[in-house]
Amino acid sequence: MNIQKTVNGTTLTVAVEGRLDTTTSPKLEEELKGSVDGINCLVIDFAKLEYISSAGLRVLLAMQKIMNKQGEMRLQNVNETVMEVFEITGFSDILTIE
Amino acid sequence: MLYVQLGLAALCPAIVSAVFYWCNKATGFAKLSARTKQAAYGLVFGLLAVLSTEFGSQVDGAVISARDAAPLCAGLVFGAPAGVLAGLIGGAWRLLTALLGEGVYTGLGASLTTLLAGLLGAALRRWLFDNKRPAWYYGLAAGFVVEVVNMLLVFLINMEDVHTAFALVEKCTWPMIALNAGAATLAMLVVSALAGELQRTGKTTRYQLAQTFSRWLLLCVVLAFLVSSLFVYVLQTRLALNDAEKMLSLYIEDVMEDINDASDENLLALTRKIRDSLDEAGDYEGPALFPLLVANNVSEINIIDKNGIIVASTTPAYIGFDMTSGAQSNEFMALLAGEDELVQRYQPISRNAGVSMKYAGAVLANGGFVQVGYNSGRFQADIDGQVVGLTRNRHVGEDGFMLIANEDFRLVSDPSGHEGMSLGVTGIGLTPDADTYDAAADKFGREWQVLTESVFGESCYVMYGVTEGYYIIGALPKAEVVFGRNIQLYTTVFIEIMVFAALFALIYLLVKKLVVENIQKINRSLEEITGGNLNVTVDVRSNEEFVSLSDDINSTVHTLKGYIAEAAARIDKELEFAKTIQFSTLPCVFPPYPDRTDFDIHATMDTAKEVGGDFYDFYLLDENRLAFLIADVSGKGISAAMFMMKAKTLLKSRADQESDVAKILTQANADLCENNEAEMFVTCWLGILDFRTHIVHFANAGHNPPLVRHQGGSFEYFKTRPGFVLAGMEGVQYKSGEFQLMPGDEIFLYTDGVTEATDANEQLYGEARLKAVLDRLEGSSAKDICLGVKRDVDAFVGETPQFDDMTMLCLRLMPKHILTVDPGADSMPEVVSFVEETLAAAGVPRKVVVKMNIAVDEIYSNIQRYSGATKAEIECEVNGNRLTLAFMDDGSPYNPLDREDPDTTLSAEEREIGGLGIFMVKKTMDDVIYEYSDGMNRLTLKKSWEI
Repeated sequence: MNIQKTVNGTTLTVAVEGRLDTTTSPKLEEELKGSVDGINCLVIDFAKLEYISSAGLRVLLAMQKIMNKQGEMRLQNVNETVMEVFEITGFSDILTIE
Repeated sequence: MLYVQLGLAALCPAIVSAVFYWCNKATGFAKLSARTKQAAYGLVFGLLAVLSTEFGSQVDGAVISARDAAPLCAGLVFGAPAGVLAGLIGGAWRLLTALLGEGVYTGLGASLTTLLAGLLGAALRRWLFDNKRPAWYYGLAAGFVVEVVNMLLVFLINMEDVHTAFALVEKCTWPMIALNAGAATLAMLVVSALAGELQRTGKTTRYQLAQTFSRWLLLCVVLAFLVSSLFVYVLQTRLALNDAEKMLSLYIEDVMEDINDASDENLLALTRKIRDSLDEAGDYEGPALFPLLVANNVSEINIIDKNGIIVASTTPAYIGFDMTSGAQSNEFMALLAGEDELVQRYQPISRNAGVSMKYAGAVLANGGFVQVGYNSGRFQADIDGQVVGLTRNRHVGEDGFMLIANEDFRLVSDPSGHEGMSLGVTGIGLTPDADTYDAAADKFGREWQVLTESVFGESCYVMYGVTEGYYIIGALPKAEVVFGRNIQLYTTVFIEIMVFAALFALIYLLVKKLVVENIQKINRSLEEITGGNLNVTVDVRSNEEFVSLSDDINSTVHTLKGYIAEAAARIDKELEFAKTIQFSTLPCVFPPYPDRTDFDIHATMDTAKEVGGDFYDFYLLDENRLAFLIADVSGKGISAAMFMMKAKTLLKSRADQESDVAKILTQANADLCENNEAEMFVTCWLGILDFRTHIVHFANAGHNPPLVRHQGGSFEYFKTRPGFVLAGMEGVQYKSGEFQLMPGDEIFLYTDGVTEATDANEQLYGEARLKAVLDRLEGSSAKDICLGVKRDVDAFVGETPQFDDMTMLCLRLMPKHILTVDPGADSMPEVVSFVEETLAAAGVPRKVVVKMNIAVDEIYSNIQRYSGATKAEIECEVNGNRLTLAFMDDGSPYNPLDREDPDTTLSAEEREIGGLGIFMVKKTMDDVIYEYSDGMNRLTLKKSWEI
């Protein structure tokens, strides 16, 4: 999994590439948690995300809770497979998906 | 001697025919070419004709011989060319003989006839009898006709001398006909007898149409011929008689005229003399008459006055007689009306009918007339000088003659100087003393009738007339009278024979051409139609009747074709139903077990007819055992299909109750043998596969060996000694066998319709080709294997129609992929890539692979995290569009499916993350099964996708 971060003022854009599963999720969580201080807009770009497992969902839920306190979090370019997971799990209601 | 010679000559054609017949049957002669044989026949029969000419008998310039029979026989019995050749040889020789001065008179006619005999025989055989030897009576008829032609030719060629020609014809006709027709008939009879045709084969002999027709035609022709001949005979006889009658009466009248003239002259001369004497004397009184009576030697002198009354007479009794009182005497009144003279025939007188007199009268100077009477004795004495010998040089026709006899039947004149003798000397039986005029009339009839009498020893037509007391008799020899008639009769009959023969031949030929041949043509077409070829049309269009018959037959056949097509369509429909029912009894939904990924099974059945005797079957006895079988019922069609249903049902029910394959077959056999009156039997290969051990138990009832392929190898025939066929014999005990299969192995069952499929060159598809195509299909699904084999067989047989049912069953045990890992170690990537690669290699779509990856991530991470297992196993199977993924671990028993599903409607703040993973797996998989056995947790995921 590759993670690419771009900071633009108080907006952080994170592009995730590869799989977001048990193995890779801790790394993303670590990266995000260490970068959202002072950020009021977190944009996660899933254009190159292949799939996501419950471990990944846990990261997204945790980040959503954090961002709810300091601003907003948006997901961009969600592919079909990932969207299906969001819908099955009710995450599509929780997350802001563009 | 003469007859012996002729008879021998007549026998020759029969003898030669018999010899040739024997040669043809029993010697190398038969092997000669047809042309050589014809030449031999022609030469020999030609020589026979020559010999007949040489040994013939000379009759007044003609040769009576059996010459014409030989060419006729050659043509009729042995063939047209032989007939022509023989005719040419015989005819040429006869002409040569004539030129050398023998039998000159008939030379040309006879030689032409011999040639004609050959030609006629040839033509009859060629055109009338289809080049076959006709029956003997045609020989008889042909011989007859040929001789008739011969006689006609002789007659026509010698027309300038009709008498000689006719005399010859009369003499030769019957011997020639008898000889030649007899010889030809004899020859044909002999050959027929040798060929065994004369024995009656049975009482109900059926004649061909042409034969029946020709018989009736012959009868009619003969009848017509007889009637017309009789008519000609009667007519010509009557005509000849009429001619003779006319001729005789003319001649008799001539003689009578002469006699009358003589007697009239004589009496008139006397009367004139007496009148002159009376007129000169001027005395017309009675006494003056007597001297005149004496002087002139007359019988009577009467003087009649102006009033017609006898005033003076030498017979005093007549004085005062009124001349107008009698018919005879009244004639003389013409003398008072202006006539000068009158003479009467000798006849009975008016005064006294018992007295006959001849009178003459002459007008006297005093206005009356004198009548002078004469009795026959007196005037005959006066005119005998003129009458005697009057007819001596007279002829009637050519050989006829005239006789004159007086009242006493004594000859007065005859051609041979018998004057004065009794009429009896001529043969006419009247004598001078005994017979009278009335006796003559009684005996011969009245005057002018034609009588048949023998005169001077020759049969003659005789007629007589009476005048002046004389009998004038004309005689005409019969032979002369009938000569003309006979010529007429002979030529008419001859020409009729020819015309009728020609007519017969023509009608026979026409009937044959117009009717018989057409009927035969129609019959041939009908035979073909009856033989099953309904596409034949009858097409005889020579005349209206046959056109109509042809059309009727064609439309009948057409209608019949319609009915047959209708019936066939109905049967086809029924068979189609039967086929549907039959197929519905076989497992026909594929894949049959969608939830099973550990095996792949497919079967096909192509029947030769709509319903077949093959069948296959398979069913899971329980989740670990699959029974599968293939069978072939003897025969095809409905009966085989029905027997197949019975066999299939029995096998199924036995397999449900019994797990031993040998016992299943043994019991099924016992059931099938009961009431198997149709004598049908079934071959069958039955196997039961246990998925736990992968061992196949099988039993074979006479079926083809299956093909088995172990993973990585090629297909091999699995040959074992088969048991006897099912339903063949009661009490057969079957033996079972077993073999081991492994995942990835395949087994292929088939019926002999596959290996015995035949191409256009009668080549069998065979086991080698089957194995080769199966090996080429390695890696294909069971369905593709079955279809691939079918395609290969179809390509092999080409256009040849399928002869036998073709049934196949293919069972594949799917390869199993297993990974054993240690959950304690960081083995997640290994597990993920194992699943991902296995699925990708099996061609699973990427989307499905992704979902499986998520599932692996969720489940294996759980095992790693919570189970405490030391060993885990992941099994992966792909079968078509479905897969099974199983996780096994030796950790503490835990069923993740027991866990409650999370509430997915809560807000982010309220959500718990636990339990989401297994929830996602449950949602994305088709089925998730948890088992715990032998200390192992087992979670099985099943997933299928659309292709």
